[in-house]
Amino acid sequence: MSVWVFYISTLVIYFGVDLLAGIALNLQFGYAGVVNFGFIVFQAAGAYMAAVVVLGPSGGVASFQQYIFGSRLPFPLDLVAAAVAGAVVSLVIGLFSLRRMRRDYQAAVLLIVSLIALQVVSADVPLFNGSNGLTGVTWPLGQIVGVTATGAPVIYAAWTLAIAAIVFAAVYWLSKSPWGRSLRAMRDHEDAASAMGLNITSLRLQVFVIGGAIAGLSGGLLVEYIGAWSPGAWGYAETFVIFTAIFVGGVGNYRGVIVGVLLVPVIFLELPRFLPAVGYPGLIDSLQWVTIGLAWMLCLLFRPRGILPEKRMEVTKPAGVPGPAVVPSEGGA
Amino acid sequence: MTTRKLTMLGALAALSALVAACGSTTTSSSKGPLVVGGVIAITGTSSFEGSNQSEGLLPAIYEINHNGGVMGHQLAYKGVDTRGDPADALPAVQQMLATTSNLVAVAGPGTASAPTIVPVLNSAHIPMMAVAGESAYNRSPYKYFWRLFPPDSANGTAMALWAKQKGYTRVAAVFGSDAGSQGDLPGVLASLQALHVNVVANISLTPDQSSYQSSVNQLIAAHPDVIMTESDAGTAGTFFGELKSLAGLVPIIGTEATYTTPWLTAVQGALGASDFHKYFTAMITAPSKVTQAVTAWNNAVKEDHSQLPVSISSAQNNPFAVTYYDGMIATALAMVAAKSTNPVVFNSYIAKVCNPGSGKTVVYTYAQGVKALNAGKQIQYFGATGLINFDKYHNSYGNQEAVTSSASGNTVSLGQVTVAAIEAVPVKGVA
Amino acid sequence: MLSQLLASAADGIVLAAIIAVAAMGFTLQFGLTNVLNLSFGSVMTIGGFTAYLANVAGLSAWLGMLLGGVAGGLATIALGRGVLRLYARRRTQLFEMMMVTLGLSLVIDYGLQSISQNAIYGYTVLQASPVRLGPIVLTPIQLFIVLLAIVILVVVEAALKFTKLGKALRATAVEPSLARSCGIQTGRVVLITWTISGFLCGLAGVVYIISTQSVDYSTGELFLPLIIAAAILGGVGSLRGAVVAAVVMGIVTEVVAGFGGAAYSTVAGFAILVVVLLLRPGSVSGGAEDRQLVL
Repeated sequence: MSVWVFYISTLVIYFGVDLLAGIALNLQFGYAGVVNFGFIVFQAAGAYMAAVVVLGPSGGVASFQQYIFGSRLPFPLDLVAAAVAGAVVSLVIGLFSLRRMRRDYQAAVLLIVSLIALQVVSADVPLFNGSNGLTGVTWPLGQIVGVTATGAPVIYAAWTLAIAAIVFAAVYWLSKSPWGRSLRAMRDHEDAASAMGLNITSLRLQVFVIGGAIAGLSGGLLVEYIGAWSPGAWGYAETFVIFTAIFVGGVGNYRGVIVGVLLVPVIFLELPRFLPAVGYPGLIDSLQWVTIGLAWMLCLLFRPRGILPEKRMEVTKPAGVPGPAVVPSEGGA
Repeated sequence: MTTRKLTMLGALAALSALVAACGSTTTSSSKGPLVVGGVIAITGTSSFEGSNQSEGLLPAIYEINHNGGVMGHQLAYKGVDTRGDPADALPAVQQMLATTSNLVAVAGPGTASAPTIVPVLNSAHIPMMAVAGESAYNRSPYKYFWRLFPPDSANGTAMALWAKQKGYTRVAAVFGSDAGSQGDLPGVLASLQALHVNVVANISLTPDQSSYQSSVNQLIAAHPDVIMTESDAGTAGTFFGELKSLAGLVPIIGTEATYTTPWLTAVQGALGASDFHKYFTAMITAPSKVTQAVTAWNNAVKEDHSQLPVSISSAQNNPFAVTYYDGMIATALAMVAAKSTNPVVFNSYIAKVCNPGSGKTVVYTYAQGVKALNAGKQIQYFGATGLINFDKYHNSYGNQEAVTSSASGNTVSLGQVTVAAIEAVPVKGVA
Repeated sequence: MLSQLLASAADGIVLAAIIAVAAMGFTLQFGLTNVLNLSFGSVMTIGGFTAYLANVAGLSAWLGMLLGGVAGGLATIALGRGVLRLYARRRTQLFEMMMVTLGLSLVIDYGLQSISQNAIYGYTVLQASPVRLGPIVLTPIQLFIVLLAIVILVVVEAALKFTKLGKALRATAVEPSLARSCGIQTGRVVLITWTISGFLCGLAGVVYIISTQSVDYSTGELFLPLIIAAAILGGVGSLRGAVVAAVVMGIVTEVVAGFGGAAYSTVAGFAILVVVLLLRPGSVSGGAEDRQLVL
């Protein structure tokens, strides 16, 4: 099989994983209104959980890696465990971060939660083998059919896309349901929704936990493909790549999420690999992050609602209804 | 969707296609030079791995290219950044494999991405000069895996033996909590235990704190007579600087990873040259006695220095750099010996041109090797690191040596720990 | 036991002083403009690099400290006036503004990384033999940093309280449109605030690299979460609050480290914020509603 097939399959798999992450983040951000700067923690929770239930019982201190919850669960319990892990972690985090507070505070607090989680997992070796991380994770479904994940990347890519499509359809259907409509009502007019008898706190937590479960699932899919997971894979910057994707695509719009996930990781993370090397090794990588920052800023300047903004379902607002206003300071400007 | 949005999408798609097209035409042409991929962390917390690699690999490529190349082909280096993360490494390596039809060898992968990357490169039939210290590779089943570096546990055992020999009885282990440093810690602790040396403190440093004063206090309270250490450069500079100014120094033994430019610069800066020289010892792969190979290595660094971000002497004394150099020269000689640049053909020749054997002509440089091979002789490349002798698992490593760095940046030897002594220590718990 | 506690507490105060210098600068601009400025850490790094370059050029460390502060002030004015205002004029909202500053920090940090070739530069200045007070061991420069933090707190607090400008600043922070109708030139107030907080930010960068003895592109970025935590914990806009929060975080961090939990020390410092948020959400949440952007 051609090496190109391997490469493109990996990109397709990453697309599927990122798409799941994008859907999850869009639920939390677009509907629950939570600026989840700790998003990657949910994906990591799923990845670690999938890893330890595939690796089998831990050999303890004497072996080269140690971890908790070591067991050997058959398919599909590995991915179920990953989703549950994401849901449980998001429930715990949601219980205190979903309190009413300024959105930017909330973002800062979640960013800090992300840093704390990373430091605890890195420092506490008995949890998930510390900084060295877990290796040797296999693909339970592949074992049933007799293939390995990296040995049959096309099959794995199809598998990832199938899961992503199912989740996508389910979430799309949910958002069209009465439950989805109450979500939109909550997001757009919280006080009115509350007055109509919707339990805002509970609704918000539901969305947040569903998003966490999808994120956990995406982590499980990723780790069963690459076979290894360590703190290096879930630095807080990874959250921003997914955020950029849904920002570029259009917040709250499912097609926008697909476009964003397709564009951002591919253009900014893969295309630079094709550029000829210039300068010292690493220059391209630095400039790549500069470009992501610039793209982010330009996007916010010219298309703050993304390439495909969400279609508003409501009647157009009468002119002159103010949003939170900017106070222009005098003296030119 | 409005037309405007469609236009915008179309423009973006066209743009990306254009960039992709430009990219692939410049890199995947098959008439270009033979490519050596550097699969290593070039950015991120492990970026020192990348500089170790370019300090050794670029001079080797320079020397080969200035001696006629490999059967007329020039070699070129292509950095592939793993960022120390297997999830980033996998598509990067597959992209390299897909777009580089003239790829002949890979330098790397490093510890963090090896479990994911080694099988991929092995099934693509690309020989790799790995720097993965895991003991799991002591008996590696991979045909294209080659390792000239000692396993992490060997380095740790040598440090423990040296401490015992020097009469130290109270060891404090001070290791960074980053992946690179933690990888070397189990070997050190297990070896100290096997030799019945007392570990009075095991301190973990979270990288990049503004101060490590509490850790310094904790260290002093344990009254160690020696510190064994590895951490990233910035952390080490802060920690030892504070140790010096708050409490005074005790002897320090560093792992092989501490004997690299950023670490030495940071700690020497914090301690001052004279204290540094007095208290610091590193355990590294024993530098070879001066042979023509060492001279060739030193010259290659000097002539190729324009590409390196560090001083000439620090590159010359970097134990990682010189090992990459040997690996590259050996790989190039294997191609010449096999009369092929196809890895499937020349892979097995890597051991054949290095290992000693009766009737072989000993060569020290690439030029000597090519000359002898063209004269129809069998060769043994005696490297700048010394004797190279691959076992059947493609591992070769030599004695370990305790060294320190003089004020002018030269390596000063303090004594040796032999492979036999290391292998005699019954280390447990390191798989 | 007690001596260990005292020693750790003293270390904690030094750490607190470093956090406090930065957090005072942060809370000053945050309190007035309501922009959660994530590029603050990048400006700290700019201040640090400036001091490093001054040292290389042979200038004294004290002058380097001053220049670092000036560089921080200039950079902050440039970003505030040049970039953030551009967005304010396009009616970018509070939360999106935070995203803008995040993009800005990526551009600055990785721009610095590409210029500095991703290297770490040693910065060993003003090191002298330590002073001992019983179990407490501190270097003179550490004492100086603590003193500096106290001086800044007193001077800025006094200026806010007693000068005309200080009153204008407080008025603008509370109710910008009302302040303007009372004849306060809010534009000037914002400019002066950028300058002072930028100066403190650059200064904090220099103080930080004196402590760590090295500088690289990620210097400020790594320190930023501590600063934000201290500012939020202390109540935004309150210098005293920021300092008290910094002291609590600093002491907890170092005591945990001193009693053997070095790996968990930073986590413990941050955990205070989470704990306070759980127990007394009202005290730090700053009101549920978004405030107005003042630029």
